[in-house]
Amino acid sequence: MSILKVQDVTKVYEGKVTNRALNQLSFEVDKGEFLAIMGPSGSGKSTLLNLITTIDRPTSGEIIFNDIKPQNLNRTELAYFRRRELGFVFQDFNLLPMLTVEENIVLPLTLDQKPVKVMEERLSVLAERLDLTTILHKRPNEISGGQAQRVAIARALIHEPAIILADEPTGNLDSNNSREVLELLSKINKEKQATIIMVTHDPIAASFCDRVLFIKDGEFFNEIHRDDRRQTFFQRILNVLSLLGGGQVGDLSSIRLP
Amino acid sequence: MTFHQFAYRNVIRNIRIYAAFFMASFFSVLVFFIYSMLMFHPEIENGFLGNVPIIWMVVAEITLVVFSWFFIFYSMKAFLEARAKEFAILIHLGMERKQLTRMVFLETIIIGFISIVLGIIFGYAFSKFFFMIVREILMLEDLPLYLSWEPFLLTTAVYFSAFILISLFSVHLSPEKKVIDLLNGYKNIQIDVDFTKRKAILGIVFILSGYGLALLTTRSNMIIFSVFIPLLIAVGTYLFFTDTTQYVVDKIKNKRFLYWKKSRMLPTAEQTFILKNNGKMFFVMTIVTTLAFLSIGLLATLSSYTSQYDKLNPLGLIYKGHIDNPMEHEHISSLITELEEKGLSYHLTRFTVLKQTSSFTNFEVEVFKESDINNLLFSYGYPMVRLSRGESMFIPYSKDSIKELAKKKVETVLLENNVRITIDQVYPELIFPSSIVSLNSIIVSDVDFRRLVRPYRNSPQYEPGYHLFTFDIPQWIEAEDVGVPIQQEVAEEYVKEKYTLPYYFENAGLNYSYILSTYSLFTLVGLLVAAVFLLAAGSFIYFRLHTNLEAEKKKFDVLKRMGISNSELKSLVTKLLFPQFFLPWGVALCHSLFAFFALQNIMKNFVNVSIVKEVVFAFVFLVIIEIIYFNLIRWRYIAYVRE
Repeated sequence: MSILKVQDVTKVYEGKVTNRALNQLSFEVDKGEFLAIMGPSGSGKSTLLNLITTIDRPTSGEIIFNDIKPQNLNRTELAYFRRRELGFVFQDFNLLPMLTVEENIVLPLTLDQKPVKVMEERLSVLAERLDLTTILHKRPNEISGGQAQRVAIARALIHEPAIILADEPTGNLDSNNSREVLELLSKINKEKQATIIMVTHDPIAASFCDRVLFIKDGEFFNEIHRDDRRQTFFQRILNVLSLLGGGQVGDLSSIRLP
Repeated sequence: MTFHQFAYRNVIRNIRIYAAFFMASFFSVLVFFIYSMLMFHPEIENGFLGNVPIIWMVVAEITLVVFSWFFIFYSMKAFLEARAKEFAILIHLGMERKQLTRMVFLETIIIGFISIVLGIIFGYAFSKFFFMIVREILMLEDLPLYLSWEPFLLTTAVYFSAFILISLFSVHLSPEKKVIDLLNGYKNIQIDVDFTKRKAILGIVFILSGYGLALLTTRSNMIIFSVFIPLLIAVGTYLFFTDTTQYVVDKIKNKRFLYWKKSRMLPTAEQTFILKNNGKMFFVMTIVTTLAFLSIGLLATLSSYTSQYDKLNPLGLIYKGHIDNPMEHEHISSLITELEEKGLSYHLTRFTVLKQTSSFTNFEVEVFKESDINNLLFSYGYPMVRLSRGESMFIPYSKDSIKELAKKKVETVLLENNVRITIDQVYPELIFPSSIVSLNSIIVSDVDFRRLVRPYRNSPQYEPGYHLFTFDIPQWIEAEDVGVPIQQEVAEEYVKEKYTLPYYFENAGLNYSYILSTYSLFTLVGLLVAAVFLLAAGSFIYFRLHTNLEAEKKKFDVLKRMGISNSELKSLVTKLLFPQFFLPWGVALCHSLFAFFALQNIMKNFVNVSIVKEVVFAFVFLVIIEIIYFNLIRWRYIAYVRE
């Protein structure tokens, strides 16, 4: 059963130079799926994410969430929709510096004016699961990058959204923290049946997913599904990437798994 | 592209970024120039400002200079801070610090030059308008526009040197930050709370005790208090903004049920940050705003005093002399001649006032004759007094005394002549100004007055009574130069240790002209200072917001992505801005309110003017201005973060 349908979405930026960022892109995401979207710089990944996030509107085509069409909602309804149905994880964490860790986590709930009791319950459950209990009273500038991203994930989960959107969640992390965060994401995906869409550059990150969707110059290029072994999945991703670059892999990292 | 061109293009092509700094400089120059136009006015030699001493105008001008220098310095600092990232890129590309200094210097000179030129042009254009206002306030015949080199030279010199010095200073004074920090900017905000509970409580205690003293101020302790209270308030305010506010926010934060509810969390947390970084500035703002409020309030008070002046001083001229005053005849006839020469109509009343001792208090009372008083009352058009034998009436010495005396009933004997009288009424209007009559003045019937044959018992040493000549002049303001020689003698004698002249003279018109000129001085100085202060306090907020705008925008971008509706964004911005605007104003308002309580106490002892109405009016006016300003800034702010 698909939770998100992207149908023939085209996005054209008009300005002094007209730029077609997405061209008739279509795909579906099933409930409980962990999807990675890969592509070289300028392939339209961020545009696609902005469209799914509903902070931008497609020029043509449709995006449907669980039978909701965000295009038909007004601005306030859109805000409520994002607040309740979507969770975000950013590359540079985007934790608010004046709030403590726990305050950052419950922020989506305070925006939605949920009762304090609910906030506290969910906070304690999540803090336990994500191993954040010891740093709850610290501020974002007092914790490490990996911890910060875990806090950001907790923030994305606390309102139990339908879809979690992650934009290069490992882009600012070292390899250990990257692995930790990715394992966490796939654990959440498996245990809570959370749907995750992750945009990434990193083939290692992509190899944690169920399916990888490749786009190039705003168009669908290829997709591959996960098999039993991550090692071979990773190898297949690299193969597609080398095709993607037209023989040149320069833009993408060529690390092998240990 | 040469280095000069680079600086030039920086300014010209980024005029939007420089606009705020430019406006601050422009307004300072404008105000300063207009004021110098007034100061160098050729008519000032002819005393168009009445007796406003030029020295006070110079003092005001110097205050203005010092303040506007500080103001420009502050805006410059804020402006440089807002551009930190741009500088970081330049340093990153290999610019020396010396070159950076030079670039900032060149840019400042360019902006300074433009703002001086435009400020002077606009200032000259608005001079006539300003002169018209001054003319109206000071009731002058005419105050023409003129052209002379002095104001131009002064303004240019003062501000050019200001821009040069400040641009050199501000780069050197700004702490050298690491390029990497400048480039990253936002992420490295350090927030550590540093308040102590002791200081927080001390701040409140200081302010409250300052208020308490203000309420207790009377004329006798006013000098000590006027040193003590401002000191207490200043220290208290400082602690209030550095510690108390943070302490309060911290207390709220510990109460989750308050703090996490109803999306209060974000604005509250934000306040910690704002208060911590701007406590000192809020303090300066509060003090500056208080000063502005005080000068506006004083102005309103003075204007009401001048308008009530003729009610409090119903007589044009008053001549008071000993019974055996040898000059009496000469002086009175000279006054009459002068009045007649000027063609002013007048009504002269001659009083013989006798001193007697009252058995009730054992002190002296001054006794007026019924028919004398009626003579004066007739010229005022007030109701007459009718007293029969044994009856008597108080003469009020001030407006408030009317009510007090009305309740009194005294049965007494005038001891010297054994005349028994009952004093159970008070004349319901002020007949004489309070400087003339003593606190114990009564009117008796003509019959009783004739019985007072034996003089006051202390009479050889003290005068047994006096003669009073009152001139009721309908056009009293025009009688201002009548009796000037007598007035001068009196004034000279007044300065001496003991008043030995056998006569005393008061010219209400002349006094009024003195008061009016003091008032004019206050108007000119006060209005200007208040305007500049308010402008400055407003700009402080503006610059503060301007500096942080980029970081704020980023924060709101995150929130927008997470889903925040338009109305929620607006209310968030309101909650964010509201304390910054209204906390310093509110505290300043509170301070000034208590200052006016104290002033009201003192004024009541000096002259009988109630200033409540004027002060309330002035404050309401200020609050309205502030609300408009708040909404203006809020509107721009929302528009920016929503982009």
